[in-house]
Amino acid sequence: MHKNRIGAYLFSFPSFFLTIALGIYPVLWALRYMFYDYQGYGTPRFIGIGNFERVARDAEFWQSVANTFVYAGGKLIITLPLSLILAVILNRKLRGRHIFRAVFFLPTIFSASVMSIVFYIVFNSYNGIINQYLLKLGIVTEPVDWLGAGFAMLTTIIIAVWGAVGNYMLLFIAGLQNIPEDVYEAASIDGVNPAQRLWYITIPMLGPVLQMIIMLAITTSLKGYESIMVLTEGGPFGKTEVMYLYLYKLFFPLTTTGSSVQNIGYGSAVGFTTAIIVGLVTWMYFWLSKKLNNVY
Amino acid sequence: MIIRKMLLRSPVWALLLITAGFMLFPIVTAILGSFKTNLELTTGATLLPADWQFKNYVQAWNQADFSGFTFNSIYVAVFATAGTLLVAAMAAYAVDRVAFKGKKLYIFIQSFTLFISIGAVVLRPQFNLMVAIGLQKSLWGVIIIIISAHATAFFMVIGFFRGIPKDLDEAALIDGCNFYSTFWRIILPLLKPALAVVALFTFRNAWNEYILPLVFSLSRPDLQTLPVGLANLRYGAGAAVENQLMLAGACISILPLLIVYVFANRSFMQVTVGSVKG
Repeated sequence: MHKNRIGAYLFSFPSFFLTIALGIYPVLWALRYMFYDYQGYGTPRFIGIGNFERVARDAEFWQSVANTFVYAGGKLIITLPLSLILAVILNRKLRGRHIFRAVFFLPTIFSASVMSIVFYIVFNSYNGIINQYLLKLGIVTEPVDWLGAGFAMLTTIIIAVWGAVGNYMLLFIAGLQNIPEDVYEAASIDGVNPAQRLWYITIPMLGPVLQMIIMLAITTSLKGYESIMVLTEGGPFGKTEVMYLYLYKLFFPLTTTGSSVQNIGYGSAVGFTTAIIVGLVTWMYFWLSKKLNNVY
Repeated sequence: MIIRKMLLRSPVWALLLITAGFMLFPIVTAILGSFKTNLELTTGATLLPADWQFKNYVQAWNQADFSGFTFNSIYVAVFATAGTLLVAAMAAYAVDRVAFKGKKLYIFIQSFTLFISIGAVVLRPQFNLMVAIGLQKSLWGVIIIIISAHATAFFMVIGFFRGIPKDLDEAALIDGCNFYSTFWRIILPLLKPALAVVALFTFRNAWNEYILPLVFSLSRPDLQTLPVGLANLRYGAGAAVENQLMLAGACISILPLLIVYVFANRSFMQVTVGSVKG
């Protein structure tokens, strides 16, 4: 162990300073302005909880919260079972398993916004690539409006699943490798079928790892808005507006050519509220999964 | 018996192949589509281009200014990666090897930034700070903000530090090294393979970053990186939207990562598991 305290302070200072200035200070900044009426110019005016009263009455915001739950829920319901099943399959000594793992993980390395541009062309409502194939194969007679009011949410969910499955598959594989082989051997002697094995052995044995992965998946999917921002900008008619995108729009325009009305005080209050919502959902999940653990 | 086994296995293989097709479809479409004409892209319904249009890339590079976007992306990713590695490795060295006052507080603050997210709100004060020191007009504003978010890298590096025995430090001290030279001469060379993995992770994130450079280029179009410049093409450069240019641009962004991935996909995967475990 070194005794050089000055050296230690010197070495941790850049990290400490940057984290305080650009990580902690902005949070405190928002905690202050959420009590002010401030549009980005002039003098901020203290209005107490006025901004929060406005949040409570803001139907557009609560619609975006509801959309977030649909988006996150849809993403998780497909992603988690699919990635767990793929992980179970690819954890066995299957020929070509390394290639399959690499292929399934591939989407996670690319930029969500860049791939959303590709998906924008793939799912285009009139002459998109999916529609071309569907028309050619005679499955539909007229183009499907993938980014229209009826399908936009489903399309964004499909894209989110595409980008997430590989990630959770890999985390599940890491968890599966901690389950001792002899448990499965004992089960196969008892004549257990694959579905029973998954439900009665694999999932319970994953235990805390599963809990952590699900929690990570919940928070990540509640926070995601980048691909929606590029693909639909929250439209059409706010159908895909999620809460973090709504929040972004209170501070910045969507593109270099766009414009927006800055709403710093109100935006800070919305930001605080969304953070509380994510925190509450995470806490509820913890509480619920603990309850379920006690039942076993 | 063999037939029965194959029948049992066929749903498994079907699932694997369908999922693989789903995962590869957009990527293959992007790469092959980037060589098609706009007309072929919007009406063709074919996989391979009828006539390979290499000029799409020339057009994207020159007319749509992807040369500038690429330069900006490389600039941001390289300096943000180098900065993150240095800041995180130095802090991890101090925290893992020295007992100093405020260490617990430091670790608490780092974990706090990992868990609390108030979204785009923080970009406003971050931007204001950069205005205050005059860095909003250069990519350095973006780079410094990316470096400041180094908590994940810090926890990854400190995980690797635990694998380097402390006896080594003591041996170095006896041989005449001090706190600083032990870091540069003993620890850093040993950490190299681990730092390479963290570098890959950081580089990929900086390269893919969208919202932060978007905010900085709102008033300075010359600061656009690849994801920002590409997303702006949606509105068409005055005329019709040119799908083939968008796909060529997307490929300029994804191909470098794809090539590295072909050779180092295990390192990419190691990062994902490691960052969650650490």
